[in-house]
Amino acid sequence: MIYVIDHKDSFTHNVVHQFSLFDKVECDNYNNLDQLKLKKASAIVFSPGPGEPKNYPITSRIYNLFKGKKKIIGICLGFQQILFCEGGKIIEQKKIYHGFQSNVKVTNNKSLFKINQKFKVGRYHSLKLKEPFKSNNFEITMRCLESKIAMSFENNKDKIYGFQFHPESFLTVNGNVLIEKILSA
Amino acid sequence: MNTSNNLKEINASGKPYVIYKTSKGFDLFTNFSKKIILNKKNIYKFLNHKKKIKNKKSTDLFIGFFGYELLNNLIGIKVPKQKNINFPKGIFYKPEKRIKLMNNLKYKADNTYKLNNKFKLNINKNSYTKIFNRFKKKIKTGKTYQIKICTKYKTKSKIDPLDFFCRLSKSNLAPEAFMVRDKNFSIISCSPENLISRKGPFITTKPIAGTVKKNKSIDKIKALNYFRKNLKETKEHNMIVDMERNDLSRICKVGSVKLSRTKIVEEYKDLFHYVSLIKGTLKKDVRNIDIIKAMMPGGSVIGCPKISTLNLLNKQEKENRNIYTGSFGYIKFNGDMRFNIIIRSILNFKNISEISVASGVVIDSNANHEFSENYIKAKALIDLFK
Repeated sequence: MIYVIDHKDSFTHNVVHQFSLFDKVECDNYNNLDQLKLKKASAIVFSPGPGEPKNYPITSRIYNLFKGKKKIIGICLGFQQILFCEGGKIIEQKKIYHGFQSNVKVTNNKSLFKINQKFKVGRYHSLKLKEPFKSNNFEITMRCLESKIAMSFENNKDKIYGFQFHPESFLTVNGNVLIEKILSA
Repeated sequence: MNTSNNLKEINASGKPYVIYKTSKGFDLFTNFSKKIILNKKNIYKFLNHKKKIKNKKSTDLFIGFFGYELLNNLIGIKVPKQKNINFPKGIFYKPEKRIKLMNNLKYKADNTYKLNNKFKLNINKNSYTKIFNRFKKKIKTGKTYQIKICTKYKTKSKIDPLDFFCRLSKSNLAPEAFMVRDKNFSIISCSPENLISRKGPFITTKPIAGTVKKNKSIDKIKALNYFRKNLKETKEHNMIVDMERNDLSRICKVGSVKLSRTKIVEEYKDLFHYVSLIKGTLKKDVRNIDIIKAMMPGGSVIGCPKISTLNLLNKQEKENRNIYTGSFGYIKFNGDMRFNIIIRSILNFKNISEISVASGVVIDSNANHEFSENYIKAKALIDLFK
């Protein structure tokens, strides 16, 4: 079972439907979580959401509790939440991407995806990861072709993955393939 | 059947009645045997009302509207104390009679009222710009991605709603147009936007995001090119599409939510709309109350993400929205539903007419432009007061 932690977003149920293609999915609000489901879940997904990581201490606590014990996946805010817990700084960006389709490229040969492979993806983010960013076993694996902003990370040792873009958006081409790959990793 | 005489007769009788656009003309519903005034408490009872019988008559339905505040309350959002005219939060009627009307509604008011077309705006350009800039900051920090600022035009005027509705339908035959005439209020609307069409297990929603006014130099193809090239319109539309997919996904079977029309242009008498159509198949145990809670208030007139944006809006707005961005439509006894989003409407209550309009703040919108956009949207309705 995959447990999706919702940050009251208007895209969370697209995420739920996408993950449901591969496994049973449960979804609850971040301030109304079910301990039993948390325990049972084989993977935990942090949903997109408004605001910034420091607004969601409960989600950070869950991350620290389950890091290395369960697969953890973050989308958009969820991506930032994980990096924030790993000591990364999340900052405002000059150009804001809401409802934007961009090209991203795999830039790291430690990725599950083939280096130089390109994807067309949908983006909805005001904030971004401040770089340089370093944390043990974490690799930035995809970047925006144009702005070079970090678009995905992988920690294949602890099975932690994140996308700054939205694999579940109708703007993302082949988003299901991306999810399938990290779920089977 | 001479329907225009019928219409005149019903109107003259003083009975309450409702008119709703159909694909071929209009349906008029009257002879109400029940009138349910909704509030925070009785809405659950009303929506859980289970009558799983087959439709026998065309009047086996409840027709009416949910106001904005009630829809907020339904999803657990409180609206702070606002200036309030104490208009009902929602009303549904059980009709006993339906009359089909043609598209070319014919009616002329017997006694013409002297109309007052001097409207007062509740937010001037200065304070609009301030709100606009405050919201833009919220976008930069990610609290919202898109938010609609509502402005309200008001005038004291006695109106003949049927006369207004007929004139409005002549200039703009909108697919979700409706009017309500009751004893102490009336509503006239040329809403173009369908929020819910439910037939058995199938459901669709048809969000509009993007409008361009028609003139001689622009045809449908040019309008499409305009929308495609305009990055701001495209991004706004994309966001609404993903949000509506999300809202349908709450209540639909996995894998059934699909875009059946993506970013097409629909042509109306005076304008072009940028429209998508999204469909899904309902999960087995979903009730109408679940559908309404998942879909309302309609996202395209609120902004995104819905909950945090609603909270920002409610903190900002000093006046109750009443019917504006609520939903009008019907629930049939067999469970089928059709609801629109109440926009482009006039609410006349206690001889005061109010017209609310809103336009979107996204990161690259401009306060001057959006402020005048609001006026353009209101003008078509204000012009009826001439």
